[in-house]
Amino acid sequence: MDLQALSVTLRLAAVTTVILLLLAIPLSFWIVSTRSRLRAPIEAITTLPILLPPTVLGFYLLVLLGPRTALGRVWIHLTGHPLAFTFSGLVIGSIIYSLPFAVQPLVAGFSAVDVALIEQARLLGASRWRLLRSVLLPLSARSIGAAALLCFTHTVGEFGVVLMVGGDIPGATRTLSIAIYDQVQDFAYAAANRTALLLVVIAVASLAALYAWRGAYPGAHHEK
Amino acid sequence: MFELRRIFSFAVLAACILTSHAQQTLHIAAAADLEPVFLPVIAQFTAQTGVCVEASYKSSATLAAAIINGAPFDLFLAADLSFPQRVVAAGLAEESAPIPYARGTLVLWTRNDSRYHQLSMDSLRDPALKSVAIANPEHAPYGRAAKAALEHLGLYDPVKSKLVIAENIAQTAQYAESGNAELGFISLTSALTPQLKSAGHYIEVPREAYPPILQGAIAIKNSQNARAAHQFLDFLASAPVVHQLEGGGLGPAR
Repeated sequence: MDLQALSVTLRLAAVTTVILLLLAIPLSFWIVSTRSRLRAPIEAITTLPILLPPTVLGFYLLVLLGPRTALGRVWIHLTGHPLAFTFSGLVIGSIIYSLPFAVQPLVAGFSAVDVALIEQARLLGASRWRLLRSVLLPLSARSIGAAALLCFTHTVGEFGVVLMVGGDIPGATRTLSIAIYDQVQDFAYAAANRTALLLVVIAVASLAALYAWRGAYPGAHHEK
Repeated sequence: MFELRRIFSFAVLAACILTSHAQQTLHIAAAADLEPVFLPVIAQFTAQTGVCVEASYKSSATLAAAIINGAPFDLFLAADLSFPQRVVAAGLAEESAPIPYARGTLVLWTRNDSRYHQLSMDSLRDPALKSVAIANPEHAPYGRAAKAALEHLGLYDPVKSKLVIAENIAQTAQYAESGNAELGFISLTSALTPQLKSAGHYIEVPREAYPPILQGAIAIKNSQNARAAHQFLDFLASAPVVHQLEGGGLGPAR
């Protein structure tokens, strides 16, 4: 088992999840509470990473944000190195890649909150911030949990972007999915199997936790 | 002349694509270093024999793993002898040993706008050097050669922490060409393409620093296009093609 790759993967997924929640909560709140004409295009852009192959993202990260463009040079000036081949580069790639997996459950959760409650809070003079903090967030705890879990597991399962911009550096950009790829290439099928099984276990456990936490479906009967 | 040849190549390929359902197609698993030189070779082969060719370019390890797991290729053109040997060992090759068909050359490449105008192997000792792209030494013969050369020249330890590893030799060239890696150990076939020729410059890695990159071929057992596969191997060994490959950066095997 490649413990270093496991640690890189878990760190990447954790950092990505925290940053994504901080970005996606205000964004989702804006989406459900705005009447702006920009809502539809913004929602479309946040959903885009589901539809596009990871190679599109990898290509843009490598070339558009590479040292040959102004944007890429600004990044190099700020950080001292190109986006590619670094852990922070992977974090940025993962944030874009998993964005819809944070926004979708949050938008669904926020919009499922009873409109009457929101109206009452408004009548009582609650600001938008107060509304988010005291009404929407507590009532959407499950959606926030779902968003966090989906972001985490989706980032754990990321492959294409990492293969294109990672550079396979142990301890920095070699994730479990890349380790499996390497093991298969080396005909180390037993090792690949162990690593793959670990990923399967992580994924099944997270999804089971997610569905258990969501509770029974309305209309479900108790088994007698 | 070059342009004309290109147009001719595309015309033959287009004809293949348009009529592919009716025509015999040879499926080749080709090492990534062949991609820059193979388009005209394939077109000439099709023009001569009427057999269409579809080539998949990847690292030799990827292709060997695919073939051993039943990928429907007729011919495997690797970038070394060890990966086709694995296919032989798996009992999936017609030959009892890989047939050497070419010899690769490893070069050190950098962009013209990088800091390394006077590129030499000593550029690798520069403490300010940030990143060097190599192909994965486990999967790609050029990567193995690059690692061997670094070790032979006593450069592996200073450079080790600066290595970025690409999946195959074409991706290595991509890392270097896009400027994301400052230097790159790439194939001469990539370095001689018009795009990389105009974007950067290279030096050949001293030949004595790495074991020769002898590239081996095997025909896949029980393929329906066995005759065409052997025709293609004979074609590769013919004098004009050997000469043409040499101009593209791929030397004769012997």
